[in-house]
Amino acid sequence: MKNTLKQVFHSPKFLVGFCIFTSILLMMIIYPLVNPGNPLEMIGLGTFAEPGTYVSLYDSVGTKTSTLKLDGADVKRIDQVLSGEDRVNMLNWFTADSIDISGLDITDTDTLLAMWKANFDPSIRLQGMTKAMRNYYIRLNDNINAAASADILTVSEIDASTGETVEKAEINKTDYVNVGDVANVKTLPLGTDNFGRDTLKELVSACGTSIRIGLIAGTVATFIGLLLGLLGGYLGGFVDDIVMFFTNIFTVIPSFVLLILISYSISQDQRGANTIAIVIGFTSWVWTARSVRSQVISLRNRDHVNLSRLSGHSLMRIILTDILPYIASYVVMAFILQISSGILAEAQLSLLGLGPKTTDVPTLGLMMNWAMLYSAHLNGSWWAYFPVILTIAFISFSLNLMNTGLDQVFNPTLRD
Amino acid sequence: MKGYRKYFGKKILWLVITFIAALLLNFTLPRMMPGDPVAAMTAKQAQGLSEASAVKAIYDNYAREFGTNKPITQQFFTYVVNLMHGDMGTSFSQYPRKVSNIIGNAIGWTLALQFPAIIIGWLIGNLLGALAAYIRKGFDKVLMPITLFLSSIPAFGMAVMLLVVFAINLKVAPISGGYGFDMLPNFSWNFVVSVIQHYQLPFWSIVLVSIGGQAVGMRSMSIYELNADYVKYARFLGIKDRRVVGYVFRNAMLPQVTGLALSIGTMVGGALVAEIIFSYPGLGTTIYQGITMADYPLISGTTLIITVMVLIATFVLDIIYGFIDPRVKAAQFD
Amino acid sequence: MKHTRKILSLLLALMLACSLTIVSAGAETVELPRNETLYFAGQQWGSINGWNPLSDDMNNAMGITQDAGGARTIMYETLYMYNMLDGSLTPLIADGDFVWNDAHTEITVKIKPAAKWSDGTPITAQDVAYTFETNVKLGNAKGNGYKPYVESVTAVDDSTVLIKAMLTDAGVAVNPLQLVCFLEECYVVQKAWIQTLEARCSNDTTAMKNDAAEDVVWSGPYTKYFANDQKVVLIRDDNYWGQDASMWGSLPVPKYIAHVIYADNAAGQSALKAGEVDVCQEFIANVQDLWLKDGLPISTYLNEAPYGICVNMPTAWFNLDIPVLQNASVRKAIAMAVDYDAINQNAMTGQSPTFADVPRSCMNPTAGEQATFDHDAVKDLQWVGNDIEGAKALLEAAGIVDSDGDGWREFNGEKITLNSCCPNGWTDWMAAMEIVAAAGKSIGIEITTEFPEWSVYQTIVTATTQTDYDIFMMWTDSATPAQPWGRIRMMMSSEFIGVEGNWSGNWGHYSNARIDEIIKAIPTTTDATELKNLYTEAVQIYLTDVPSFSLMYRPNKFHAVNESVWTNFPDSTDGRNIPPTDCTDGYGIAALYALELVNP
Repeated sequence: MKNTLKQVFHSPKFLVGFCIFTSILLMMIIYPLVNPGNPLEMIGLGTFAEPGTYVSLYDSVGTKTSTLKLDGADVKRIDQVLSGEDRVNMLNWFTADSIDISGLDITDTDTLLAMWKANFDPSIRLQGMTKAMRNYYIRLNDNINAAASADILTVSEIDASTGETVEKAEINKTDYVNVGDVANVKTLPLGTDNFGRDTLKELVSACGTSIRIGLIAGTVATFIGLLLGLLGGYLGGFVDDIVMFFTNIFTVIPSFVLLILISYSISQDQRGANTIAIVIGFTSWVWTARSVRSQVISLRNRDHVNLSRLSGHSLMRIILTDILPYIASYVVMAFILQISSGILAEAQLSLLGLGPKTTDVPTLGLMMNWAMLYSAHLNGSWWAYFPVILTIAFISFSLNLMNTGLDQVFNPTLRD
Repeated sequence: MKGYRKYFGKKILWLVITFIAALLLNFTLPRMMPGDPVAAMTAKQAQGLSEASAVKAIYDNYAREFGTNKPITQQFFTYVVNLMHGDMGTSFSQYPRKVSNIIGNAIGWTLALQFPAIIIGWLIGNLLGALAAYIRKGFDKVLMPITLFLSSIPAFGMAVMLLVVFAINLKVAPISGGYGFDMLPNFSWNFVVSVIQHYQLPFWSIVLVSIGGQAVGMRSMSIYELNADYVKYARFLGIKDRRVVGYVFRNAMLPQVTGLALSIGTMVGGALVAEIIFSYPGLGTTIYQGITMADYPLISGTTLIITVMVLIATFVLDIIYGFIDPRVKAAQFD
Repeated sequence: MKHTRKILSLLLALMLACSLTIVSAGAETVELPRNETLYFAGQQWGSINGWNPLSDDMNNAMGITQDAGGARTIMYETLYMYNMLDGSLTPLIADGDFVWNDAHTEITVKIKPAAKWSDGTPITAQDVAYTFETNVKLGNAKGNGYKPYVESVTAVDDSTVLIKAMLTDAGVAVNPLQLVCFLEECYVVQKAWIQTLEARCSNDTTAMKNDAAEDVVWSGPYTKYFANDQKVVLIRDDNYWGQDASMWGSLPVPKYIAHVIYADNAAGQSALKAGEVDVCQEFIANVQDLWLKDGLPISTYLNEAPYGICVNMPTAWFNLDIPVLQNASVRKAIAMAVDYDAINQNAMTGQSPTFADVPRSCMNPTAGEQATFDHDAVKDLQWVGNDIEGAKALLEAAGIVDSDGDGWREFNGEKITLNSCCPNGWTDWMAAMEIVAAAGKSIGIEITTEFPEWSVYQTIVTATTQTDYDIFMMWTDSATPAQPWGRIRMMMSSEFIGVEGNWSGNWGHYSNARIDEIIKAIPTTTDATELKNLYTEAVQIYLTDVPSFSLMYRPNKFHAVNESVWTNFPDSTDGRNIPPTDCTDGYGIAALYALELVNP
């Protein structure tokens, strides 16, 4: 046993797979400690906040400021609202309004802005200009006005008793605050999802649920498969016929179809993560049953089994001591594969809208489903779906690697 | 020939038995779903209707038409009889359209997408697996982890990534549908080009995912065969390497054919979900519609057709296998 | 090996050949010219199964939508076109305004002399009368829906229609408002064609309703051209009568109207972004990102939030069959604690006026409905939400306290546990219900969310009694000529209690004798001051008793346009008074006559 383990851990493939899987598990344990709280809590108003660090604007107003005179700060400020494309569009406006633009250099911000201010009139309706374009120019004009406003910005508050506006703070263009001094700063490494939840926190939690689903599904499938395979293979005869009957049927009926039908017949409010896991396990035992059976058949007439049988050992004991150890390696491998296919099956089901109910726990499939429902892939919110795909891929990659590694250990002919 | 006949006879018998089992499951499971789909249909009509008796009349009318007011055994009997006439019932969500009509319009797209994709994925996968086994060294070291990783990406994930990269960011492929938004189906060259353009992404998302699994299997099989005694013996006899390799891969291929037969169900499942991502007008999208609209005649019709497709594919592969594996013949005399 | 390859390649070739033939089976050779085609999204889900305007099941939203908020008149036409912006009716088939008799029990409508069917025959009063009779005979939605209000529709002569209201025992019209709705909601179908249909179906009503009506005669500016599972295309009828000077004076601009049938919202929106769709009737989360972030030539009717005209209020209903919810203080406290701004942000991504902008009542935010009641008289009853302290105080005052110190309040010695429900997958509603549940927690009332499937949900909500759902969501009516009366009735009328399969309203089973009187009185009240008093009182009762509470304001039709090809869509600032109803519904169809190409 010890020797086998040693051998297993010497297989580079197994080791790499094991390391990836362990680091995912570690992440699941450690991250909630660093960032505790309910992963389903909706912290953000609105959908899909971008990844990054968020600084409380409210708090930074009162925070101690330092004056930094940085070169090009003004240019940056203007560039933020006036891209190269905007400049070209300004020219187009002048042209459409038949204003002479000969000699105008669009990189010359001051002249360009002066000319803009002199000529732009939001009420003018130019021939052939779409509404979208008209709105664009109005927005551009507003942005320019905002960026070019006074050097000092005043923050005021409304006095509750008198209803008057009272000046509270002044902000200079050269005022900076240290992020460390601001009371509320929140880093969202993966932004928020469609419900305004912290995506990373949710992902970590979902990862745990999905692995649990995989484990339950794998256990159920392996248990059923092992039981049927052992019974059919060892007992043979009528029992074997029955086992083979069901095995044959369920080999051909796609498990995916079965999954859809069964999940569909369970109503949504009863579809918890565990229920789904059991259903998945229930539809994927066939492979294990088939191969266990064929292996048991070849073991059945080995000498040591015959000996055991002649010694009057019970069926239970023969199976446990004389057969199971010989097929254990195979069963472990099948179990590993079933974990990964269980995780995948949950994801696919959820994408079809047949996954576990949404409000209980996050799962990888549900995250994917919601991201798709809110078209995250179309509006560029990659953080809502890409990490999920990657996580699924890495979990099953690590499990597959472990499986291949084991395969090589137990089938010496495959060794490199 | 007698051996073959027995082999095929047995296969056909199993085909029939499995079909009956599938039929039973298809009928029962969706009907166990809680809720009343007839009421859902009524709802569509009844919005804005302020007369209660009118709503009741609409409801009764539908219940009569769908036979949901009859006992379940009688419903099954009607279902089977109708099925024999190619009638899979009436869709709830697209009433009064026939399910067979909806499926008939979708099945061509799915067949044309999935079969070539699965077969090409299988071929490329086997080729790569065999190459990896034969060349080993660097090729194997690089290729194996990559294919293994590819096969670990779920089909829908691959679909989403291809969609985002090629259709949305690079804009070299269309985003959804089966043909151009400005086209009506016709026999023109433009239309064929449009169909092929829309075909690309769903096709490759299925192919890329299936390559991996096949390559890994083929590699193992080939290495196993390459180390077999007969190879050593043949080499010892001085038979040309090229010829030996030919034998080896032929032997390694055989289990892969069975492997395809066994995994085709899983592949189809993954590919159906990929279809949804691309809004491809096939069965995947149909089943998704059925699920979202709680349209169980449509769901059970679609799943039945998918099952039958997989049954037939498996059967065909079994037959092919019987022809190409000489050992099958030997096995007949068990 | 050889065998395998042969068989495989054969299979492959077969599949490809198969696919091509299937795909190309039976169609005409056309590519729609982009600058003659107006593309839609979000109106047609699933494929067209017929063109029968007498049927309720044709799944032909692109061609047939008889909606009180404005019937779709691109293929079939109504007597009048409704404009939700000001509630006005514009004559379409009708000639000039309709006339009430003095007793307010009959409407007389003249038919435009120019109005013609597609086969060239004139549209007559007999057509109008016969359509109504047929609707009643077939028992379709329009027939059943109007039978209680319309006694008869008769042809006085070829060009004069007389619509008689159903009368109460007292001799007044049951509901004159519904008569007006009839004018803008029900299509006029050709009598001769209906008779053809009757002959074909041997007068069997089910067969008549299920007939696909491929031979139908229409009167609108467009007609069917192509339809399959992927799209539907309508083509302009260049002989359309409406080009007569007495109607539009011209033909609508686009030659084709096309709608690709998208699998889901996401697909439709990506097509809009790609410029493959011109008019999109879909809720688009953060619609402003399309122009602010992506710089696309997309715009909405209003340039700023809420971007569209909100005309209805998705509402959370309290189940009054639940003892604790029979306590008005509990109901009001929960409603006061809900963070409506969060709902607006999450469920509507800000595309809804806030309850600070438009204080709550039974009326939608349009100026017309807001003018129906006295704002000052209800001011003290309104709440903007997220008022945790106020809600707690209300509960304390009502004696609903946490006496055992577990953090949850008790009612009659038992911890209050409620659920808040809406159908699964209705994402905006689900987000709203989550926020309601959160509000409960903040005031010490445990509320959990439940999201059953729609098929289950609707059977329970419409049942005569139910105790499964405590707080649940349903819709309320959009703008129609019968509003806000219809919505008040929907919210509070006790006539819906005990009705089996109740789709009409008052799902919480609220009962109040006074409001029933008001609901009865409003339709027949003509005096403006009295009417305003009645409406104000209704709002007061609604806000005091809180049988339900609106969660947000929402448009009936979303309306986002991409100006890559077409421009001059309706706009809030253009003074044309064309409602943003997707260039197809009610008076919104006027937009089709004003469209211009961006690059002619």
